This record gives sequence, C-alpha cells and structure tokens, in this order.
Amino acid sequence: MADLIQLLTNGLALGSIYALTAIGFVIVYSATGVVNFAAGQFVMVGTFAGVATLVNAGWPMPVGYIGALVVMALFGALFYLIVYLPLRASPIVTVIIGTVAIGITIQNMALLTFGSWPFPVPSPFDGMMIDLGGTVISAHAIAVVIATGVLILLLWLLMHRTAIGIAMRAVAQDVKVARLMGLRVQWLLAFTWILAAVMAGIAGLMLGPMWFADVNMGDPIALKAFAATVIGGFGSLPGAIAGGFFVGLAEVLGASYVSSAYKDLIAFGVMILFLLFRPQGIFGEKIQDRG
Amino acid sequence: MALRLLGLVGLLVVGFALSLSVSEYALRLLNLAAIAGISVIGLNFAFGYVGLISLGHAAFMGLGAYILAILTTQAGWSPWLASVPAILGTGLCAAAIGFPLLRLKGHYLALATLGLNVSFVIVAANWIELTGGTNGIAKIPGLSIAGYALSGEQPFLWFALVILACLGFVASLIQSSRHGRAMMAVRDDETAAAMTGINVTAIKVAAFALSALYAAVAGCLFATHVNFVSPDDFGFAQSITFLSMLIVGGEGTIVGAILGATLLTFLPEWLRVLGDSYLAFFGLMMLGILIFLPTGIIGLFDRWRRRAPAPETAAAEVAQP
Repeated sequence: MADLIQLLTNGLALGSIYALTAIGFVIVYSATGVVNFAAGQFVMVGTFAGVATLVNAGWPMPVGYIGALVVMALFGALFYLIVYLPLRASPIVTVIIGTVAIGITIQNMALLTFGSWPFPVPSPFDGMMIDLGGTVISAHAIAVVIATGVLILLLWLLMHRTAIGIAMRAVAQDVKVARLMGLRVQWLLAFTWILAAVMAGIAGLMLGPMWFADVNMGDPIALKAFAATVIGGFGSLPGAIAGGFFVGLAEVLGASYVSSAYKDLIAFGVMILFLLFRPQGIFGEKIQDRG
Repeated sequence: MALRLLGLVGLLVVGFALSLSVSEYALRLLNLAAIAGISVIGLNFAFGYVGLISLGHAAFMGLGAYILAILTTQAGWSPWLASVPAILGTGLCAAAIGFPLLRLKGHYLALATLGLNVSFVIVAANWIELTGGTNGIAKIPGLSIAGYALSGEQPFLWFALVILACLGFVASLIQSSRHGRAMMAVRDDETAAAMTGINVTAIKVAAFALSALYAAVAGCLFATHVNFVSPDDFGFAQSITFLSMLIVGGEGTIVGAILGATLLTFLPEWLRVLGDSYLAFFGLMMLGILIFLPTGIIGLFDRWRRRAPAPETAAAEVAQP
C-alpha cells in the first residue's frame, strides 16, 4: 500500500509532464493543423534553458525560471517564423518531416552547446521528502502535480475568459471566418506557438530534476505525448490531460507490476488499440481522417 | 518499355562505373544507398502511389533482417534459404497488420505506424533469448554465389545493383499495370475509386504488403552485408529517413526513390567537413529542401522541362495543328 502511494505520486508527476507536452502539441495542432514532431525537442530546450539560467548563469530560482520561460517564448516565436510560416501550406508528410528535420538541428545545437554529459537540474524542493504515515514521497513530485493543476486552470481561464483565448479558439475553429471577423489571425497563431513553447518549457523545467537534463530526452517524451494525445482524443485539451496522466501512470505502475523492460509497450499498445477501436479517443472529437 | 529497359541498363552502367572508380568508403556508402533505395522503392508503393503515410517502414526492414539473422545464426540455415521466410513472413505480417490498421488515414495512420515501429524496437531490444537484446545479432553469414563469396564492398555492390535494378523494373511494371493505376486512383479519391469497382481495402493492404516485401529484401541485404543487426538500425528515425528520401527524390516515382536514397545517404557524409555541427546543418538543409523543392528532385526536372520545351517537341507541336 505504501508502495502504491509512492508509485501513484510518481506516475502522476510523470503524467503531468506528458500532459503539459501533449497540451502544447494539441494547442498548436488545433490552431494550425501542424503535427509537430519537434514537440519533444521543445521540452528538451526548456530543460536546457533552465540549465543555462539556473546552473550556468547561477541566477536565483524565481529569476532563473522566468528567464528560462522568456527564452522559451522567444524560441516559440522563432519556430513560428522559421518553420511554421514556410511550411504552413504543405501536406502533412512534409510538415512531419520538416519538424523532424528542425528537431535534429535543435538537438544537435543543444549537443554542441551543452555536450552529451547529462546535467542535474536543481529544484526548489531538492532533498525535501514528505512523510505520509510511513510512506515517503518526494516533495518535487507533489509540487509538479499541483503546479500542473494550477497551470491547467490558468489555461482554461485564458481560453474561456479572456479575449485573446476566445479569439484563439475562433481561429482554431475556422481561420477564414476568424479573419472576416477582423481577428489578427497571424498574431494569434504566433501567440499559439509561443504559448505551446512556454507550456513545453514549464514541462522541461519540472522534468529536469526528475530525470537528468540530456539532449536525447526529446524523442522519448514526444512519443509518450503522441500516445497521450491519441488516447485522450486528437485535438482535445481535456483529452491531452487525461491521456498524459494515463500514460504516466501506465509507465510507472507497469514498470513496477508488469515488466520494467516492456513498460513502454503498454502506452503504445493502448494507443494502437484506441486508434483501431476508438480513434476519437476518450474525449470524442469529430473525426475526419477516418475511412 | 524501351525507356524502362534503358533506365535499368543506365542504372547498372552508372553503378558499375562508379564501383570501379570510387574509394572503399564511397563503395560502402553506395551499398547502403542501394539497400536504402530498394527499401524506398517499396515505401513508394504505400506512400507514393496509395498515399498511406507509413512511419513504420524501418520495422518491416528490421523484421526481415531479424528473421534472416535468427534463422542463419541459431538454426544454421543458409542465408539464401533464410531469406525466403524472411521476405514472405514480413509480407504476410504487413498484410495482417494492414488489414485492420489501414482504415486510418493521415496523421492517425502516421502515429499508428510510428507506434508499431517503436513497439518493434522495444521487443527487439528486450526479447534477449531470440534477438540478443540491444547487443543485437552478430556473425550473420554473408551471401555467396556458386562458391564465390560476396564479402567485399565491390562484389556486393554489383549484386545489390542487380537486385535494385530488377526490383525497380518490377515496380515500374506494377506502376503502369491496372493495379498501379488502381493504387493511384485510391490515393486521388477513395470514393471515386470505390465507385469504379476498385476494392479499396484490398488495394491498400496489397500496396502495404508490397512495400513490406521490398523492405524485407532490403533488410536481408543489410543483414548479410553488414553481418550484424541491432535494434538501433531499425528505429522510427530510420522510417522517417526513408520517407524523407522519397520526398526529397520525388514521391510517386521510382527514379526519385533511388535518387533520394542516394542523396540522403551521401549528404550527411559530405557535410562532415563542417565538423561537429554537420547534423545541425543537415536538419536545416532538409527543411530548406522541403520548403524550396516541395516536389523533390524529380519535380525540379519537370519544372525545367516545362520552362524550356525540347526543340523536337516544340517542332512537333507546330507540325500538328
């Protein structure tokens, strides 16, 4: 039982990371139709932005986090300009390969800058443990779950209670009509990319202390976020969250109760089963690309 | 038909001339390019003709390579004999997977096949008794013809070129047959294709299985040439590389598949002069190619041809009112 609480906490914390990555992926997909295969590299860049500000520059915690997120916002804007704008009218496959290609560039630039040696990333809760009647759980994991909950709430408020969020949803529904209504579509799309990059950056900053900062961490995270997106429902924000938590829990509980070697098969197996039998995912959205 | 035979002979002549004139290192790359070429011609059936986005092509190549590796090293089969179940087994496996999976389209199919490829690598890396885990399988015997071992880079290249030319030729026959036209009809408009009596599911599954057959041939060549297979060789990144080769060469064309496979095999090596940052440049160059040459090298040729029509065709147009 004690073990179970520990595993559940770790699973939820890991699931939070996947959920935030999947959210970044989904807001870009719903607004622009881009299937961003560099989504995992976004998280990696977030982690290393934290390494740069907190470790290399030695800035204090809040300043370092804010600095890293500003870097992420700029990164999102740059990605919008260099990758999204030139590829926006291309077929899906070209976009997939284009984002993979730029992902290779991002990964190798990180490798050149930071080297292949994994970095430890500090957390404000380093070394702090919470004792729950005999079960010791890491304070960082709890903080990650709480912070993710707060972020999801803030995102919901942004999307439903602010003018910019409502405008973003209008763009996601119908770009032409949004433009006819006088919305500045290009600015809103740029903001979407920035928001996605910042969400991925937060995921990266929270993941850093859980794993090590490693330039190869992008792809495994992206694959899990894709599985989360499909399981939850492609294009659905609640789906991305539910899917993220499912994949995180499946990974941690699967490693402990089923097989540590095959733990990742659970997420991908469930993803393929969902694609075959319920391609709209848990939170069914309208499906166009299905025969 | 004459043009096709000309292409076949041209490929063999160019390949043979190169095999006599380039360095050992370039020969090795040419071998890898020929193997990738076979695999990409296969992918062209699924993606180029039918429009199925497969991000799992490397898994089929890996399945073929692993079946051959296991049968030769553990059961002591000859590589020639082992290649038969390797190729046919992979094709059957693709048909069995394709039947339920190919109802999906677009990025759904892309992610499903990606999931399959990732699952394949997990199984190959962890089923240690059978696959050797991440250490892979070493000491796979090489091919030999009538007692003559195809062990060096040069003899193997001749053999690989003959296979590439033959399979390219077969692919071009399929392309212009009614089955090839049915595939393209399904790509262009599934409903209209079904209306004309084409069995859409059968065509999709057939193209997918055919693509896996070609991938398995490439996998067998890879295993017998490198004499070693490991899960790293068949990851989803390799699948994306195959798709990039097809797009960079020109989707829907066999010549494009071969050109793309050759170019993307050599490009990273050419960029090595840039030092440590060569992969970063490679990514940017790929993005540039996708932005500025969306229809690939073949599309570039087509554009040139249209801009400057050859004198004979211009004359012919004048002659026929």
